[in-house]
Amino acid sequence: MNKEIIIQEDVTQNVPLQGDLGGKTPIKNITYDALVVGAGIAGGETALNLANTGYKVLLVDKELSVGGKMIMLSKVFPTLDCAACITTPKVSEISRHPNITIFTGSEVSNIKKINDNEFTAKVTKHPRYVHIEDCTACQLCEKACPVNVRDQYQFGLIGRKAAFIPFSICSPKAAAIDIDNCTLCGACEKACPTNCIDFTMETEEMNLHVKTVVLATGFKLFDPENMPRYGYGKFKNILTAQQMERELAPTRPYNTILRPGDGKVPDKIAYVLCVGSRDASVGNPLCSQICCMYSIKQAQLLMGALPMADVTIYYINIRSFGKGFEEFYQQAKGMGVNFVKGKIGKISEKENGNLILRYEDINEGRLQEAEHDMVILSTGVLPNTGIEKFFDNQTLALDPFNFVGQSDALISPAKTSIDGVFVAGTAIGPMDIPDTILSAGAASSEAISYLLAPPTSPKGRL
Amino acid sequence: MKPKKIGVYICHCGGNISDYVDVEKVRQSVEGEDVVFIAKTTMFACSDANQRDMVEDIKQNELDGVIVASCSPKLHLLTFRNVSVRADLNKYTYVHANIREQASWAHSDNKAAATEKAIHLVKAAIAKSRYAQALETNKIKTTKAVAVVGAGVAGMKAAITLAQKDTHVFLIEKMPAVGGHVAEWGSLFSTNETGSEMVNRLYNEVKQYDNISVMTNSEVIENKGSVGNIMLKVRTKTENDNEGHIAEINVGSVLMATGFDHYTPEEGEFGYHSSDKIITLPEFKRMVDTQNGKLVHNGKEVKNIAYIYCVGSRQTEGENTYCSRNCCTSTIHAAVTAKNKFAGIHNFHFTRGLRTYGKQEIIYAESLRQGDIYLQSYEEDPATVIAENNKVIVKINDILTSGKELEVEADLVVLVTGMVPRTDSNMGPLFKIPKGRDKFFTEVHMKLRPVETVIDGITIAGTCQGPKNIAESVNSALSAATKSYTILNKGELETDPLVATIDPEKCTWCGACEEACPFDAIIKTDKNGKTIAEINNTVCKGCGMCAPVCDPDAVNLIACSSKEIMSMIDALV
Repeated sequence: MNKEIIIQEDVTQNVPLQGDLGGKTPIKNITYDALVVGAGIAGGETALNLANTGYKVLLVDKELSVGGKMIMLSKVFPTLDCAACITTPKVSEISRHPNITIFTGSEVSNIKKINDNEFTAKVTKHPRYVHIEDCTACQLCEKACPVNVRDQYQFGLIGRKAAFIPFSICSPKAAAIDIDNCTLCGACEKACPTNCIDFTMETEEMNLHVKTVVLATGFKLFDPENMPRYGYGKFKNILTAQQMERELAPTRPYNTILRPGDGKVPDKIAYVLCVGSRDASVGNPLCSQICCMYSIKQAQLLMGALPMADVTIYYINIRSFGKGFEEFYQQAKGMGVNFVKGKIGKISEKENGNLILRYEDINEGRLQEAEHDMVILSTGVLPNTGIEKFFDNQTLALDPFNFVGQSDALISPAKTSIDGVFVAGTAIGPMDIPDTILSAGAASSEAISYLLAPPTSPKGRL
Repeated sequence: MKPKKIGVYICHCGGNISDYVDVEKVRQSVEGEDVVFIAKTTMFACSDANQRDMVEDIKQNELDGVIVASCSPKLHLLTFRNVSVRADLNKYTYVHANIREQASWAHSDNKAAATEKAIHLVKAAIAKSRYAQALETNKIKTTKAVAVVGAGVAGMKAAITLAQKDTHVFLIEKMPAVGGHVAEWGSLFSTNETGSEMVNRLYNEVKQYDNISVMTNSEVIENKGSVGNIMLKVRTKTENDNEGHIAEINVGSVLMATGFDHYTPEEGEFGYHSSDKIITLPEFKRMVDTQNGKLVHNGKEVKNIAYIYCVGSRQTEGENTYCSRNCCTSTIHAAVTAKNKFAGIHNFHFTRGLRTYGKQEIIYAESLRQGDIYLQSYEEDPATVIAENNKVIVKINDILTSGKELEVEADLVVLVTGMVPRTDSNMGPLFKIPKGRDKFFTEVHMKLRPVETVIDGITIAGTCQGPKNIAESVNSALSAATKSYTILNKGELETDPLVATIDPEKCTWCGACEEACPFDAIIKTDKNGKTIAEINNTVCKGCGMCAPVCDPDAVNLIACSSKEIMSMIDALV
């Protein structure tokens, strides 16, 4: 009874809204204290710090959900906390905070510094074709949609519909229409009990006024197709570690560990480290800082999930440098994970789908070949490019590796070349979750000082 | 009185619980209880969608309270208290049951028993929920000042950023001068500045703020009160007066930045003290920084230098099992600096696998280009140092040449000593900051709350929490400052009303509770001519240590009263 009334109210609320979006509306002006670009764990933590101090924050992410890469992980090293369990409350806190406004599916451009404590920017909100506030995530649109495409949030392991909920713990938990793949058949619209699907939604542009900007634009992972000698994309039983995260996650797509070629449960799994890291031949001389540890973590989880399986990690150096990391590495050795010092030169595929790894076994001092039935590539961290193009009248300096540059790397690690623009997390370079949280804390602290300093005070601009 | 209506939510935790605990069976076992109005299972109780459902359930069904059976309350007690608040319930009507750490994870080998235990845990929560009452939080005024303990780079940076935020800072340093270990260093990796220049730059900035009181030669000797209002006694020594004078300061939060000690090798560890040619990394760095022209040690020119890594770190037998994080890069930087500064230097690195993580990889590449020789020992078979007839020879079974035994005669052997926790600091016990297995201070949560401690209002920054380089220390200092500031900037703080109470009728003042209290929250007082115990509500943490030692049973804990606890025990057994 109650429910029907709610539905009717929502419908009436929708009418003027639809009318609004249908016509040519003037560009809206919006004002906040701070703009945080990127709603992963760095941006989320920064937004929370600022919001808890009383500032109004606009948090913008180009994805359909907040949570960045962390929300998609299985467990985290070295605590083996379930990533979803520790990320969702954070995400929930961000989503509900009265001082935080979130725009997902949105982008920022034309950031201009007008004065100290005065920035303008353009915010472009791409249409989701679903009114988030009315969607109950009932998934009836998903069931009705006839289109199947690869699910980018499961890194291609399974398919999804063109009308879809991005993933089970996404926030906002609401459907979206993938308009590029949609056939406009209208089945979802008919199936939706709350009439929240709206194909007349248009791109919305807004003029933003803020006093400070924090960049938390994150990183991207190396695409192993750029290393044809490993055969990723060609050989079916090679996955990236990011894909393996999904196979191991509590919300895993297969509910067990499978190799994708034939659905066999693997029993001899290899990890290839430094794929796209410490490798000048692919243009990245840097160590990615996280791959050793996430691979060791996955190896431990695999030993738990498949007690009979052999897991071998091929490495150059094991870099378990953080708090509790070395102990975690020793624990993996104790559990029976094989560690082989040697960089993999080439991978080839046998007829049965197994893979032959050719490598120099450093301990033995000779070339070796090993057969595995599944190979995981631990791909490295690369900068998200194009961040400097967000800015109109100021130059955002980058470091030699195209990460966001730091103007005083040791003493003010969050400061960029533009006074009043700060940087947090992996936009600076590779780092793990605790370091990202610390970096976000640093950016928050600098941003709060900047917001508090009267523009003319020389003291405030130290 | 109307019977209570309770909602029970049993979480799958996406398999973390439901792989071992039959959550549906748990639900069925409790749904018949008289006070249980609804009982549901949910994939992720903490997810935004489920929180929204709970709010709706509470409002629609006019529930008096909810129970979530999920993970540890450390993770989600606050989450679900807030759900209750959003549904206009008093947050203390919420009761949490931990069926993950206490059932599914603890008994993953026995699913039936894990389920059985989960049922009992939820029933105990229901029993508690019958008595759970609406309570009001205490509001206290806070002091907008922070004590920063330790004036190294982390401490000074924290002080500056807090001072910028209109917060008074007492920067308390035990030594006569600020700067900590960084002040000892010359050139630093990734910058043209020297350590002492960096310290001077920071100290000059510190001096510009009227609201930073720098207290050198000073130590905190007493700590009273709790978050928001902490009273510290600080002893400042002067040249003539070792007793010094004692100042009382009031702060709202304490930021601990007490730093680290260099590891000191044992006698004979890698030949330490068996030859004067064997020195530690800090000693070597001072040599490189202070000498010019030729690198000379004990009157002899140094050409061949052997660096032995992981001395005091990654120990297979000793206590220091951790990696000291910063030493690989620090050593290579010193070796490269030496090679650039002095002619004819040959660097031989005896490593256990190099850890120049992230962008630090660049300096490793640079040293390789300069012709430094890297050797690596097997993990259980470190390099050995033999000092005989005024010669020092380093031997290794080298992985990188497939296990060949190699030896180098060195003019100088540098033991790459790592960071160890401060041994001469009594700040840990004084502020009751717990330490981890590695003896560094521990944070609340390693991943997501790395600068907060279990003691409200006490934050940790820099290397007192674990080995870090300068930038990492500064990041943690700024983070800790953010957390300290967020506590204090509103001028008011809400505290839990979950404290102990004294029944003046029953209390006979024996002093047992005062002795048991770890927070000095119990004081002796006279009430109507009778000597009894009194609780200082702002200091009491509700830990319950006083309750069991009270012989006449005069102590009761709010929200953990005897009747609540006894009813929970009845449900459990």
